[in-house]
Amino acid sequence: MKLPTLLRTGAAALALATAAGLATPAHAAGISLVETGSSLLYPLFNLWVASYSTAHPDVSITTTSTGSGAGISQSIQGLVQIGASDAYLSDAMVKAHPEMLNIPLGISSQAINYNLPGITHLHLTGPILAGIYEGKITNWNDPAIAAANPGVTLPNHVIIPIHRIDGSGDTFIFSQYLAFSDAGWSSTEHYGTSISWPAVAGGIGANGNPGMVTALKNNPYGIAYIGISFADQVKAAKLGQAELLNKAGNYVLPTPETISAAAASVASTTPADERISMVFAPGANAYPIVNYEYAIVKTSQPDAATAKAIRKFLSWCVQGGNVPAYLDKVHFMALPAAVKTLSVTQIDKIK
Amino acid sequence: MTLRPFRLLVLCISLMIPAALCAVVLFLAGYAGQAISFNGLHFLWDVNWNLGDLYGDPVTVNGITIPPGAEYGVLAFIAGTLASSGLAIFIAVPLSVGAAIFLAEAVPVLENHARDRLSWLPPIRPALAMLVELVAVVPSVVFGLWGIAVLVPFLGHYISPTGNGYGLLAAAIVLALMITPIIASTLYDALLQVPKENRESAFALGSTHFEVVTKAMMPMVRSTLAGGIVLALGRALGETMAVLMVSGGGLNMLPTSLFSPISTIASFIVSQLDSAESDPTSMSVKALAEIAFVLFIITLAVNVAAKLLSSGALNVRSRKA
Amino acid sequence: MSAAAKLETRSTQELRRIVLSVAGWGLCAIALLGVIFPLLDIVGVVAGRGITALSFSLFTQTTTGAANGLANAIEGTFVITLFAMLIAVPIGVGAGIHLSEYGKNRLGSAIRFMSDTLTGTPSIVLGYFSYIVFITALGWGFSLLAAAITIAILIIPYLARITELALQQVPNPMREAAYALGATDGVVVFKIVLPAASGAVITGGLLGLAISVGETAPLIYTAGWSDQMWTGHFTQSPVAYLTYVIWTFINQPDEHSHQLAYAAAFLVMLVVLAINISVRLMVKRTKFT
Repeated sequence: MKLPTLLRTGAAALALATAAGLATPAHAAGISLVETGSSLLYPLFNLWVASYSTAHPDVSITTTSTGSGAGISQSIQGLVQIGASDAYLSDAMVKAHPEMLNIPLGISSQAINYNLPGITHLHLTGPILAGIYEGKITNWNDPAIAAANPGVTLPNHVIIPIHRIDGSGDTFIFSQYLAFSDAGWSSTEHYGTSISWPAVAGGIGANGNPGMVTALKNNPYGIAYIGISFADQVKAAKLGQAELLNKAGNYVLPTPETISAAAASVASTTPADERISMVFAPGANAYPIVNYEYAIVKTSQPDAATAKAIRKFLSWCVQGGNVPAYLDKVHFMALPAAVKTLSVTQIDKIK
Repeated sequence: MTLRPFRLLVLCISLMIPAALCAVVLFLAGYAGQAISFNGLHFLWDVNWNLGDLYGDPVTVNGITIPPGAEYGVLAFIAGTLASSGLAIFIAVPLSVGAAIFLAEAVPVLENHARDRLSWLPPIRPALAMLVELVAVVPSVVFGLWGIAVLVPFLGHYISPTGNGYGLLAAAIVLALMITPIIASTLYDALLQVPKENRESAFALGSTHFEVVTKAMMPMVRSTLAGGIVLALGRALGETMAVLMVSGGGLNMLPTSLFSPISTIASFIVSQLDSAESDPTSMSVKALAEIAFVLFIITLAVNVAAKLLSSGALNVRSRKA
Repeated sequence: MSAAAKLETRSTQELRRIVLSVAGWGLCAIALLGVIFPLLDIVGVVAGRGITALSFSLFTQTTTGAANGLANAIEGTFVITLFAMLIAVPIGVGAGIHLSEYGKNRLGSAIRFMSDTLTGTPSIVLGYFSYIVFITALGWGFSLLAAAITIAILIIPYLARITELALQQVPNPMREAAYALGATDGVVVFKIVLPAASGAVITGGLLGLAISVGETAPLIYTAGWSDQMWTGHFTQSPVAYLTYVIWTFINQPDEHSHQLAYAAAFLVMLVVLAINISVRLMVKRTKFT
C-alpha cells in the first residue's frame, strides 16, 4: 500500500527535478571555466572571480578547493581548465607533461607561530626547527634555542611540534625552508606537500590551517607553521610569531617589506618557465618562507574560444587583479613587474 | 523444479552487490598490483611510510620506478585503525545497549506514570528517535569540529597526563558517538519486535522487569545485535574526516597509550591522496590503493569473525534446547 | 513498618535480584544520558550557528566563490540524492528480499558476506574508483551520473541489510497462510511481507537517504562543484552539493564562509527532519485507513 505511494512521490519529484534542471538557462551563451586545486589560492580566486564576472558576464568561472595535487592532475587530464597549486611541477613531471605551464599569479608566505605566554617574537632558525620536528630538540630551554635568544627566559617544558596531516602547500614551503637551511633534513626528509614526519613523542598532526590554529591554541608549548592568510586568527588567539633566520643571517618577521624583499631578490633569476623556489632567498631583509602561487594550465585547449577566455582571465589576474585591493585581504603580495611580464608571455602560449 | 521468475529477478538484483564489490576489488588490485609486487609482504610489518622525494629524479629499484627514498609500510595505520575502531565499539556497545533497553522498556513505563500529571509532556520516544536520525546526517566534518572544539580540550584539561587531548582516545570517542545511533536503533527495533508471549511468560515466572529484559529478551535479539555491531564496525573502520581531525595524525610510530597520535587507513588515504597525485611515477597512488586493499582484508576478516561468532552462539543455544 | 516486615520476609537472594535490577536500570539510564547529551550538544551547535546564518537569499542566490547563496548546492544535493535513491532503492530492497526470503543457502550467505564487506569500504575509495572509472576512463567528466552511482553503491549494502533484517521479523505463518491461499512469490512479498515490515524498510530508506545527503568524500572526485544550478545534463556537467560547502568553507579564514558552512549543515539536518516527519505522518495515516 505504502510503497506505491512512495514510488509515485518519487516519480513526481523526479519529473519536477528534471523540469527544473532543464528550465534553468544552462550556460547561457557564454563560456564556463572551472578552477580547482590549492586551498591557499582559493580565497584569492574567489575575490578575483567575483569582480571579474561582473565586468565579463559572458564568462562564468567556478572556483573549487580540492588541494594542489588534485589541481595539477585534473588540469593535466583536462577535467578543469585552471589548476591551482602552491608548488610548481617537478622536473620529472615536466618531462612527462611538457604541455603544462606553471604561471605565478601571486606571492604567499608563511609564519611560524608558537604558544608561549609572554614571548611575542622568538628567534628561530631552520636547523632549530628541523631539530624540533625531528625530535632532536625536545625542550624549550634547549641550548640551541637559548643561544639564538640571548636574554629571553625560556620555559623548561617539552616542545609540542604540530604539523599538517593533509597534503598542503604550507608543508611544501615549510619543509623547503628546512631542507635548504639544514643539511640533515635535506638528506633524510626532503621537501614536498606531504612529509614522512619523524615520530616525535607528543607531536600532533592537524587538518588544514584552521586545524593548525586550533591545535596550537589547545596546546600550550606547541609550535606550528601557519599560512599567512590566517594571520588574523593567529593574532586573535594571541599566539607568538617567530623571527626567522634568513640566508643573509638576519632574523626577520613576515611583513610586506620582508616578503617583497624576498620576491625582489628572486625576480631577476626567475627562468622563463617560472619554476623556481623563493624559499630561503638571498637578500639582507628577505623573509625566508615565501612562495609563488601557480596556475597550472595546459597549452593546448579544446577550442579557441576557451583558450581565449582563459588567456583573458589569467592576464587580468596578473595585471588588473594583482593589486592590494584583492591581495591584502588574504595577506598575499603582488608579483614584481619582471615576473608579471614572464607570466604574460606564458599565458600567451595557451592556444 | 518450476521456474519462478520473481525469485530469479530478486536473485539477479542481489547479485549486483557482489558484482559491485568485485569491480571495486579488481580495480584496487589492478591499480595496486605494481605496488604489491614492489613492496612484497614486509609492507605489512613495516612501520615507516614515506612518499619519498617527489621533487627528486625518480630512481629505478628492481625494475620499478619510484621517487627516491620512497618506502611504504602500513603497520602503523593497521594498528591505528584496529585500535580506534575496537575502542569505539568497546565504548559504544554498552552505551547503546543500555540506551536501547531503557528507551524500549523503561521509558514507556515512566511515560505512563508521568502522563497522569503532565498531560502536556511531548512523546519522548519519537523525539529521541528523531534525534538519532538527525545525528545520522550530521556531517562527519561537524563531528570533527565538535571534537576539536569540545572533546579535545576537555580530554587535554581533565584526563590526559600530558595535556594533549588529540589521539587514539579522542578518535575512538568521536567514532563511538557516530556509531552509537546505528547499534542503538537496531537493538531498539529488535526489542520492540520480541513477541509478547516471551515477555509475559518471563514475567509470569516471577522475573523482575530487568530480568525479563536481560534473560528473556536479549538472547532473542542477540543475532540482530551482532548484525548491528558489524554494521557499526564497518562504518567505524571506513570513517574518514572526523577521525582525521582529532586523531593527531601519528606517522611512523605505533600507538603506545590512549593519547598516542594515530592515523587510520581511511583517514590516511584522504590526507595523502592529494600529494600522491603529483607523484610523477604514480607509485604513491598505487601504494595508497594497496592500503585500501588492506582495509578490505580487515573488513573481510571482521566479517568472517562475526560469522564464526554468531554461528558459535547458535550452536550453544541449540545444545541447551 | 509493614514495608520493613515485607523486606524481612524476602530471602537475601530475592533482595539481591531487586538490587541488581535497580542498579541495571540505573546503568541503562546513565547510558541513555551519556548517548543523548553529546549528540544534543552537536545538534545544538549546528542548529544554533546555522539558524543565525539563515536568510532568504540563501535559497534564491547561487554561490559565487565562498559567498552569497546556496541555491545551487541545495538543488544539487536534492538531485544527486534523488537519482542515487532511484538506483539504490530497487537494488537494495530487491537484494534484501532475496536474502531474507530465498537467501537461506550458501549463495545467500556469500552475498550477505560480500555486502557487509562492501559496507566497510571507505567512501573515499569508492569515490576514487568512480573517478578513475567513470570520470577519466569513460570520459563522463564530473557529473551527476557518476555521483549518483557512487552514492548508490555506498548505500545499497545498508538498504539490503536493513530490509533483510526487517523482513525476517515478519512471522512465517503469515507467508505460509498466503502461499496456502495460492499466492505467488511476488504477491507474498509485495502484499504480505513488505507491508508488514514497511516501517523498518522505510527507516532503512531514511538511513540511506541520510548517508546520501551527508556524504562528502565520494562526491569530491565525482560531482566536482559548480557555481551554477544543475544544467540538466547527466554527464559532462559538474554539480554542486551542500556537504562540499561545509567541508570547504569551514577551512576558509573569514567568518562569512563559516556562517555559510553552518547554514549548509543546518539545512542538511532540516531536510532530513522534514523527510523524517513526512514519512512518519504518511505511515501513521495509512495505518489508520
